[in-house]
Order: sequence, then C-alpha cells, then structure tokens
Amino acid sequence: MTQLIKARKGIITPEVERLAKIEGLTSDELCEKVASGRVVILKNKNHKNGLGIAVGEGLRTKVNANIGTSPDCVDFSDELHKINVAVAAGADAIMELSIGGDVDAFHHKVIDQFTLPIGSVPTYQTGMESIEKYGSVVDMTAEDMFEMIERQAKRGIDFMAIHSALNMSIIDRLKNQGRVMDIVSRGGSFITGWMFHNEQDNPLYTQFDRVLEICKKYDVTLSIGDAIRPGCLEDSLDRAQVQGLIVAGELVQRSLAAGVQVMVEGPGHVPLDQIPATILLQKQLCHHVPYYILGNLVTDIAPGYDHITGAIGATTAAIAGADFICYVTPAEHLRLPTAEDVHAGVIATRIATHAADLVTGVKGAREWDLEMARARKVLDWDKQIELSIDPPTARRIRGERNEEGAEACSMCGGFCAVKLVNEYLGTTGGSC
Amino acid sequence: MSTLMEIAQKGQEIPLFTLVAKNEQMKVELLMERVANGRIVIPYNTHHKPQKPQGFGLGLSTKVSASIGLDADEDLLSDELFKVDEAMRAGTSAIMDLSTAGNMDEARRAIIKRVPLPLGTLPIYQAFAEAVRTKGSALALEPEDFFKVMERQAADGVDFMALHSALHTGLLETAKEDQRVLNLVSRGGSLLMGWMLYHNKENFLYTMFDRILEIAKKYEVTLSLADGMRPGAGADSLCRSQVEELAVLGKLVKRSRQAGVQIMIKGPGHTPPNQIAATVQLQKQVCEGAPYFVFGPVSTDVAPGYDEITAAIGGAMASAAGADILCYVTPAEHIAYPNAQDVYRGVVASRIAAHVGDLAKGYPGAADWDRQMSQARREQNVEAQKTFALDQDRLGDFHASEKPFCKKCEKGCAMAVAGEYFKELPWEC
Repeated sequence: MTQLIKARKGIITPEVERLAKIEGLTSDELCEKVASGRVVILKNKNHKNGLGIAVGEGLRTKVNANIGTSPDCVDFSDELHKINVAVAAGADAIMELSIGGDVDAFHHKVIDQFTLPIGSVPTYQTGMESIEKYGSVVDMTAEDMFEMIERQAKRGIDFMAIHSALNMSIIDRLKNQGRVMDIVSRGGSFITGWMFHNEQDNPLYTQFDRVLEICKKYDVTLSIGDAIRPGCLEDSLDRAQVQGLIVAGELVQRSLAAGVQVMVEGPGHVPLDQIPATILLQKQLCHHVPYYILGNLVTDIAPGYDHITGAIGATTAAIAGADFICYVTPAEHLRLPTAEDVHAGVIATRIATHAADLVTGVKGAREWDLEMARARKVLDWDKQIELSIDPPTARRIRGERNEEGAEACSMCGGFCAVKLVNEYLGTTGGSC
Repeated sequence: MSTLMEIAQKGQEIPLFTLVAKNEQMKVELLMERVANGRIVIPYNTHHKPQKPQGFGLGLSTKVSASIGLDADEDLLSDELFKVDEAMRAGTSAIMDLSTAGNMDEARRAIIKRVPLPLGTLPIYQAFAEAVRTKGSALALEPEDFFKVMERQAADGVDFMALHSALHTGLLETAKEDQRVLNLVSRGGSLLMGWMLYHNKENFLYTMFDRILEIAKKYEVTLSLADGMRPGAGADSLCRSQVEELAVLGKLVKRSRQAGVQIMIKGPGHTPPNQIAATVQLQKQVCEGAPYFVFGPVSTDVAPGYDEITAAIGGAMASAAGADILCYVTPAEHIAYPNAQDVYRGVVASRIAAHVGDLAKGYPGAADWDRQMSQARREQNVEAQKTFALDQDRLGDFHASEKPFCKKCEKGCAMAVAGEYFKELPWEC
C-alpha cells in the first residue's frame, strides 16, 4: 500500500508520525493532508534507509538539487561530492540525472548512502541505453521505457519525473502556436523526437496505467514532467503549456484514483507578474496536488546569475503556493554545474523558500528572522553566525575582514547605529 | 537662474531633457511634464553636470545606485576609486560617496571627477565626523557646521543628497512606544537622534528645511530625503514610527516642489516580501508620486553573506510595484565592509532585480531584450548570447575553457533532438 492509500484508511505510518513532528503538525493533520493528495511523502518502499520528506500545502517549502554526469564527463566521485555539498547546504532532496557512465551502479550507491529522497528521470537512462543499443534515442521501444521505470523503482528511487502529459495534440498545438523556444525539457524533446520518428503517440501517455502500476507497487511518487515547459519568458502561459497542464490534471485524477502519490512539475521561465497565475492554474487544474517548479527564472538575460533570477521567481512562486522548488545554479544555460555552483544554487533557493515561508506562515519561519534581529540588536556575532542560512560563509566573510572579537562590524566603525541608539535611547539591555 | 523643475514647468526643452528622454525612449513632452510635477527627477548639479545624466521616476527604467566611501582614516582613496570603477563596470546608474573618515573633501572631489553618473552623499556624515575631529564629539555639532558642509559639498558638484529631515522629536516618542526589535539602523538617523536627545532640541534638518531648500536650489541638488526610521528587521516593517515619518516626508515633498527643488524619497530596508508592494504604494500615495529610492529591500534577515540575493528578491518586487531606484546591497552587508568584488556582485544583483521590475512594469524594450536572448539561445548563437548577457564579463569566466557553448546536455540536448524533428521550424542544429 502507498502512503496515500494508508492515509485514506486513517493509518498513521511511521513516516507520517515522524514528518508531522518535523513540520509542527499533529500526525492526524498530516495524515489528512496526505489522504487529500495535497501532500506527498517522497519515500520508496525499497529505499530502506530513506527517511522521506513531506511536500505540499501548508508545509515548509522544500528544495531539490539536481546532479548527474554528462556523456563526456563521467566522474561519479565528483557527482557524489556534489550531493554531499548539496546536503550540507541544506537541500531536502536530490535528483540524480546522469546520462553518462554506469548509472545503475551509481543509483545503488546513492540510494544506499543517502537518507534523503532521491529522484530521477527514467527516460534519460532509457535514452542513454538506447543510444548504446540502437545508436539513437528515438529507437528505444515502449518496453524499454517501462522496463527502466520498473528497474529504477525497484532500486528505490523515491520520485520520478515522467513525461506522460505529452501527446500529439499538444505538439500540434505547440507547432501552431509558434514558440520562440519550442521544447527545452530534455525528456520532453526525447519523447517528442520519438513520437515523430515512430509515428506513434507517447507510450507514457497512452499506457499511463502501466506507469501507475509500477509507482503503486513501490510507492514511487509520480512527478508528472512538464515536457513543454516554456524555455523563455515569451513562451510562458501559451496554449501548449496550458493544454499540457490540462492533460496533467487528467493524469493526476487517474493517479489519485489509483492510490498513487502524485505531484506536477512546472516551469521554467516565467515573467514575475505571471507567476501567481501560473501557480493558481496548476492548483486548480491539478486537484491541488503539490507543484514542483524549476526556479522560476524571471528573466532570460542573466546567464551566470540564474541562481538569482531563480531565487526571485521562487519566492513569488512559493508565496503563490508552489511547494517544492528545483534549484537553479549559476551554471544554468552554460555548463554542468560544479560543486561550487551546486552550493550557490541550494543556498539561493533556500533563501527564496524561506522568504516565502515567512509570508505564508510556515511554523518557525518568522521566529528565525526574529531571533536573528535580536542577535543583531545585542551585537552577538556568534549567535548571528549560528543563525545564518550558511554559517561557514558568514563566518568566513566576517573572519577575513574583522578583528577577532571586535565589538561592532567594520561596516560602521565608530558610527555603529545600533550602539548609538542603545546608548542614547537606553531602551535595550545590549551588552555593548 | 531657474531650476530644472521650473524650466520643465515653463515648457522649455533644454538639451538635457532631450537626451534623457531619448535614452529612455520616452517622449520629451512627457518627460518634461513629469519633471515639472516631480514624478521624475534628474539629479544634475550645475557644478558637476554628469556626462551620463540619469532620470529616476515614473515610466523610466529602474535604476541602481552603489554606495562606497572611506570608512576609516587608514582607508586608501585608491581602493575606493577602484570600487567606483567596478561599480561602473557592473553597470550602476549612480554612485553614493558615504565617506565618514580620512580626507573626505579630497575623496569626494576625486570621485566626482571620475564619475560621469549622478553622485550622491549624506552630508550629515561628514558634518558629524568633522565635529568629532575638531570638537571632540559628534554631539558638539552645531547646525551652522552642517550647513557649511552641505554648501561645500553642493559647490563641489554633488548631484543628490540624502537628508534625514523628517526625523523630529515626536517620532522619538513613537519609536519608544513601538518597541521595535532594532530601534534604529539608519546611521545618520541615529546620530541625529542622539544629538536631539542630548541637546533636548528639535532636528535642525527639520526645523531649518528652508535653508536646505535654498542651497539645493542654488546648485540644483536633488534632495533624497532619508528614512531615519527605516526598519532594520522584517518584524519592524511598517511599524508606526516608519509610517509616521513617511507622512512627514510627504509634507516635505510638497514644500520642496513649491520651491522648485527636485526631490525623491528613500525607503527600506528590511521588509517581508508580502509587505513590499504595500510599502511602495504607501510611499507613492503619501509622497504624491515622488520617485522612491529603496534600499534592497532585504526580504529576509537570516542570510548574511547573501544579502545581494535577499535584496534582489525584494528589489524585483519593489521595482515591479513602482520603486524607481534600487540602492544595492552587497554580500558583505551586516557582516563586513564591502570590497571591490562585493561591490561588483551587489550592482549586478540589483541590476537583475531592476530589469525584472522593468519587465513587470512594461518598460519599453525590456521584454525585447529577453526575447533577443532567447532567439540567440534557440539559434545556439554564442556570440549573440554574449552580447545580450547582462554581465558579459561573467559569461567569459564560464566559457574560457568550455567548448562547445553548452555542455550540459551533450547527446541529449533538447534543442538538437527537438530541432531535428521540428523540421518546419528554423532549427540551426
């Protein structure tokens, strides 16, 4: 039984009990949310040491970090290092997106080694093996696709992005519309290529029940991939994207009926003023299941800084109801991210989700800011660093440029405002 | 001699108006109408006449300002000048010299000479610093000393000045009652408040506002009235002292405009994301559409080391809501004095926020810029992508050892695979 089915029966699973405590809810409250489909618990039955996380309405907004090899850059120890960096920076989940090297072995290792949820896009590995077997992605068979989903599910992958919400009529609509960036989803373009080449509709759509069967068996949370997510601001909320969302909604309904935990993936490049509408549309069309978005990237023109364009969008998106944010690194659009990029991406995304959690009233969010402000008031530097979102970085910057134990920061020197007001207003018990 | 406001009110199109309007793709008549009614300011001291004049305000692109300055007597002017250069290389639209130590006159004059952009200061900093030096204490400052400094700076060519004229003793009471987490974080504001308490006197920047207007008028200094009560923590945002001060600021806007002196208003500071739009709208209403110059806003308190990002989040929201100029925040904010690298990063992050705001405001050309970049991506045109990148130098860092342009997808490149099958569409690859 999946967490969803158990929750509907009112069974409090150990995961629900543990995660409810973390989120500051009662077990019954969380159980009810899981039963409604508005919250999912990312944990495959076969991820034996997996602790799972809860994602969805009313919970702390979660952050995912993507890692993975490319065909000409296969260094699994480096990818492992990136996972460690992401975890240390506070990522809640990892998506393993390797398309080079011995992916099976790496998945085993990652699932064994890490307790946080591991996600994947099975089509990537299918495509990779298809190139080895047949010489091209488009020659993979439908059986290959399902065999891979089963293989990864059995191994313990907790959530899978599957591009089922893509069919011929969506592609026709996309073509008629005339986009600037057509399809930028890698999985989406694999499947699109496959459909044209084989003159068949998408097996992940036409045989969706097979996807559901596998997910149900292992309690894999299905993450319906947004194959036609916009790749630039100009393409946001066009007819193809909206139709993709309608189809995703239909598939959500079928997943919920089958007792499969499900969430929906979202864009991508979205102008700031279109973000709330995008989120609302997904929530309404997709039965309020969790929305898992990339960014959003709010402008196209800042390569090298897309962790910042992503953080701006993620804040607005999470306030509007996005539940799970896939990070964007400074290397986005440019190259495979380095460990340093991974760190920068996770921290920027965590800043965004926290800024949103402040607003949506997630338990503990405001208290965190308040504690920091109080530490600033009394110039308690140790406390400020301890409370920082990235203590090592705060400690390094301060350590590099300030005398050890100096009372005030070097920003204001003898003119420290906090100190002066404490002196003159005499309204605080500050130690300085 | 007439001020820019008065010239605009008379409908005289001078070359400055023509140039600014052209740079902003705005009809000069509209620009002049807005300068005349104070919705747009063009900081342009007659003793500086910046070669690259900038307009701040309604319908113009959102601007970015970078603050630098000597902070300790041992600081080197050459370091600060390098920061100025880095801020300009990163694309700032204005510089503020906030020196509080060393040879402040020399520093300011050197910076003014170097900067073809509007240059701003906080004259009260120098006034207090000189009081410490010559009289042994900031508290020994006399109003006359301040006005001498202000006039000296104006004569040197400072284009805009931040002044805490809305602070008054009534606000002291409110501040006490408010019991904010962080009482006062504005440096000038707290110095003045200390002075007021010590002397048991009203703030001379408030009581002698007419003298400020006189000097500003004589040199065409744009006033940038500062928010002494700006919140220093998200929890303090939109407290009574902040709002009460805003009401006073609104009054001073009216007086300034009546005197023909250009004026803008400074704003926060630490503001939770859901209060940013309201903060901007409040200022716009209470201050009759005066350009709003916000600091960040910093959207959460918990990310020291990354405040260029907390501020980019807040700045994008503020700009989308109508803020006109963003004072940058650097990664060193709250923990150290920014170095040249911090300055660069702070300016770029603020420029991203400003552009995101411009997209939301529908500023002419903003969406085209993104569209051009996307076209270049579609065509995998590396050179064009570099041309359209907000920070081309940064892109260079990524590509120095990277070929081809994008390595991320390799055989699985979405563009290539889809492009192959979308034969009807002009795919290059």
